[in-house]
Amino acid sequence: MAFLHWILAVLWVALTGQWSLAGLTTGWLLAYGVLWLTHPHGAGTYFARVPRVLRALVVFLWEIIVANLRVTYHVFAPLGRMRPGIVAVPLDLHGDVPITMLANAITLTPGTLSLDVASDRRTLYVHGMRIGDPDSFRREIKSSLERYVKEVCE
Amino acid sequence: MVEWLVVALLLAGTFFMVVAGIGIVRMPDVYLRMSCTSKAATLGCGCLLAGYALQVGDAGIAVRAVATAAFVLLTAPVAAHMIGRAAYRLGVPLWVGSCCDELKGAYSPGGEFLQSRPVSQVRPPHPSLDP
Amino acid sequence: MISAVALWVVLPALSIAVLLSVVRLALGPSFPDRVVALDLMTTIGVGIVTVAALAWEQTALFDVATVLALVSFLATVAFARYVERGIRLWSNG
Repeated sequence: MAFLHWILAVLWVALTGQWSLAGLTTGWLLAYGVLWLTHPHGAGTYFARVPRVLRALVVFLWEIIVANLRVTYHVFAPLGRMRPGIVAVPLDLHGDVPITMLANAITLTPGTLSLDVASDRRTLYVHGMRIGDPDSFRREIKSSLERYVKEVCE
Repeated sequence: MVEWLVVALLLAGTFFMVVAGIGIVRMPDVYLRMSCTSKAATLGCGCLLAGYALQVGDAGIAVRAVATAAFVLLTAPVAAHMIGRAAYRLGVPLWVGSCCDELKGAYSPGGEFLQSRPVSQVRPPHPSLDP
Repeated sequence: MISAVALWVVLPALSIAVLLSVVRLALGPSFPDRVVALDLMTTIGVGIVTVAALAWEQTALFDVATVLALVSFLATVAFARYVERGIRLWSNG
């Protein structure tokens, strides 16, 4: 389905001759509309996945912006306001690809950095810049980034 | 209109890169410095490349700018992760103000094996999140 | 106006950022510190080349930015591998 979607989007660009990002976006949205009208949708289909992936992307971009502003604050504030540390985050994800996605998302968010994965793939060691208490830090990561990675991958 | 947007993007990207520069000098240990440089890679590079793509307006350039930004976003965390792990295994100390180090003692002596934390040492994150 | 801003504000500010990372490169104190400083320098370098391509309207310069982004990743990973191999050799005697 994703393949058909992209074929239709590129076909739109080719037929209109608009070789630009705006043209591709228009074609992509139109193709989505056409597929939505002509194919069955419900839980577990392509149409259930696309909004989740888009939402995860938006949430991730928002996290990056917020975290950037926080790190900017700590760069200029007195050093004593930071509470850095390394926290072991237990993983509910299975498989190398989801864990890689989560680790990359954590590292891309400024202020947190994934250091290593345990050999049995059940713990991720994360360095954080502002850890009030390790348990709430764990909860924060599990309830935002890990939840969205899980939604995208399942 | 587009001109102002391009200027705003350029200035924002520059701001984040300068902050990363100040951060790398001012932060007290390697791990915190790396947290600061990841912002230059994400928002700094992203803003500058977006400004360039917007200014040129050519489809080929725009696609290449997006591809470059995507490549930086894909590889920067891998590089940061590798330096961070190398630094920890090299024994670079954490800042004295750090609150906790749960990685301490988890590596096997040769460094080939990294054990998970036993459940007793790590309390479950939150009852409502467990299936 | 864009090229004026790029020439008189953006490029000087980015140069200062590079100088700051040179300070960290000189100070160290550990090897990974210097690698992080080099990594930041190339990332800012990608930004500088992009802005230069914009200011002087040289599309060819943008190729340099793309290639620099590709190469900096390889350099950093190579450094990290080198450090880790050093650790392994050292711990095995």
